Amino acid sequence: MIEYDQDEKKMVLKLVYYGPALSGKTTNLLRLHDLLDQDGRGGLMVLDTSNERTIYFDLLPFFLKAPSGLKIKVKVFTVPGQVKHDAMRKAVLQRADGVAFIADSQVRENLNNATSFENLERNLALVGMDVEKTPLVIQYNKRDLSGVSAESEIRGVWASTGIPVFMASALEGRGVVETFRCLAEATYRSLDARYALEAGHGLSAASFVSQLVRCEHNSGLQESS
Amino acid sequence: MALQESIDFVVGGEKRLTDVLSEAEVMPLLKSAAQAGLELAAVIDTADIPLWTFGPGCGVPGAFPPRKAHIETRPIYLAGEQVGKVCLAGGIATAAEVLKILAQVVGDAVNSMVQTNLKRMMVTEIHTQVVQLSYDELLETNRRLTESEQKYRELAQNLEIRVQERTSELKQVYTRMLQQEKMASVGQLAAGMAHEINNPLSFILSNLKSLEKYVDRFVELVNFYEEQTGGSGNDKLRSAATEKRRSLKIDFIMDDLGELFTQTVGGAERVKKIVADLRGFSHVDSAGEVQLDINQEIERTLSVLSSEIPADAKIIKKLGDLPGLSCKVPLLCQAFLNIIRNAFQARPRGLHLLIRTGQDDGGRIRLVFEDNGPGIPQDVQRRIFEPFFTTRDVGGGMGMGLTVAYDVVTSCGGTIDVQSMEGHGAVFVITLPVGGRNR
Repeated sequence: MIEYDQDEKKMVLKLVYYGPALSGKTTNLLRLHDLLDQDGRGGLMVLDTSNERTIYFDLLPFFLKAPSGLKIKVKVFTVPGQVKHDAMRKAVLQRADGVAFIADSQVRENLNNATSFENLERNLALVGMDVEKTPLVIQYNKRDLSGVSAESEIRGVWASTGIPVFMASALEGRGVVETFRCLAEATYRSLDARYALEAGHGLSAASFVSQLVRCEHNSGLQESS
Repeated sequence: MALQESIDFVVGGEKRLTDVLSEAEVMPLLKSAAQAGLELAAVIDTADIPLWTFGPGCGVPGAFPPRKAHIETRPIYLAGEQVGKVCLAGGIATAAEVLKILAQVVGDAVNSMVQTNLKRMMVTEIHTQVVQLSYDELLETNRRLTESEQKYRELAQNLEIRVQERTSELKQVYTRMLQQEKMASVGQLAAGMAHEINNPLSFILSNLKSLEKYVDRFVELVNFYEEQTGGSGNDKLRSAATEKRRSLKIDFIMDDLGELFTQTVGGAERVKKIVADLRGFSHVDSAGEVQLDINQEIERTLSVLSSEIPADAKIIKKLGDLPGLSCKVPLLCQAFLNIIRNAFQARPRGLHLLIRTGQDDGGRIRLVFEDNGPGIPQDVQRRIFEPFFTTRDVGGGMGMGLTVAYDVVTSCGGTIDVQSMEGHGAVFVITLPVGGRNR
């Protein structure tokens, strides 16, 4: 959590899109920006890049409100995936409330996925976060490509961890919202346990998620307002 | 990794409009707009509090924004959130269209400025934080490197010392081994010689006994002849026989024969005993574990040393009852010999040596060698068991005697100690476990 000011009734959350280089973290945010309703969110801020590769981070802010008047700002970040930007990843990861791990489905990227996930675990520990308790979802992106790992195989690998896994093609906009919605739900559960969002602020899980994930009419996804 | 308090901000931390915009940036814009004949150009926050204002109406007290004037506002967004407004109040001559356009231009300019500044600030922040993180990591790496360098440095230094220690240890072990080897071969040599001596000695002894019998017969024959000649009437023959007997000193020879044989056999018996002692001393005949009688070993050692015992030395033995000692090391008497011989050499005249054996409270065999020699100075006592340590002049001794004694006793699982005061003799105490120790 970036900030929680009880007097000003303001809470600022941080969600981080983590993963190996070129797995489509920024594309995920771009698609979220396209697919989600403009109400309740700001524009996508892309900091300077080098050859279209993220070197700092991207930021997509969301705004929502609890019945108690608590204003919640959710800042969704991407990290630079390239190995050399580890210090940057660590800095962005600090005080994150939830993490979406974007993996590359291509078979040849398996090792990079594993290395990056290990890096995530290590960095979470380094910035003082409990890996077991941090809300986490995994997305296997680039399902539209050939030469990808079989879904059953992927699910088999992660089944024992209990971490939700989504198949996606960020380029085609598939699975992106589902991943985000799941991350929102997991983050809500973790926050509610600590800050009594429902009991203290009247903010239900459904309301939190629907405010965060407002789909535009043409996305074909269910929306509850 | 704890960051320093002063820069503990989180990437994505909240910003206010005044954090992102500065007066130096905003005022020229407002000034330019106001020059188009506006009453007022301002940037106000979400609570309508003016942050920066310019224009003739600026100093006018009263409500803000001025109510009567024609007003155009444009929202200012900071990361998607409205944080304030650009507010332009037209003058009397300001056309509504112009005011709109002006508001649009100033609004766009401010928003673009906010956006650019925010990005720059975030980049600066994350850069600072990354630098700090890297610096902390570098410090940590440096600390670990220094630590490990220190460790290796110590290791390297100690290594040299350790090598020196081990080298001198090895040297000592080597010389000890050499010495033991030498002693073993000397023992074998002695045993071999003893064996060679034993063979002729046994036929010397048995021949001597035969010779004695034969001589007895000759004596008997001579006596017989004398009796026969004495009884005959041939005086000439009788006096010739008497004369011959006298000139050949036969009477003396006959008297001396017994003594001669006794002494000769006694001498040969003594040679036999010496040879037996030598063999026993070297234990060349025994293989593997042997049962030793310590008291017998002491006697045997003294017997081997008999030629070296100073003439006026008094050796007092108080040998107690001892259990047998089973031991694989047959060289215990070598240890005793070295200690006793040291006493002989320490005081060639007027030596009193007391040798006591017995058992201590723990049932261990205890041997005490107490002399009235000059004693051993305190600073020398620590070193007497070291190889090649000697206080004698060159050629007087190798300095291995007590080292060998120490090696032999400790390899039996025993201990050897010295108590001495300069000028008041020395006491060597050896204790040996009854069970011995297998080497």
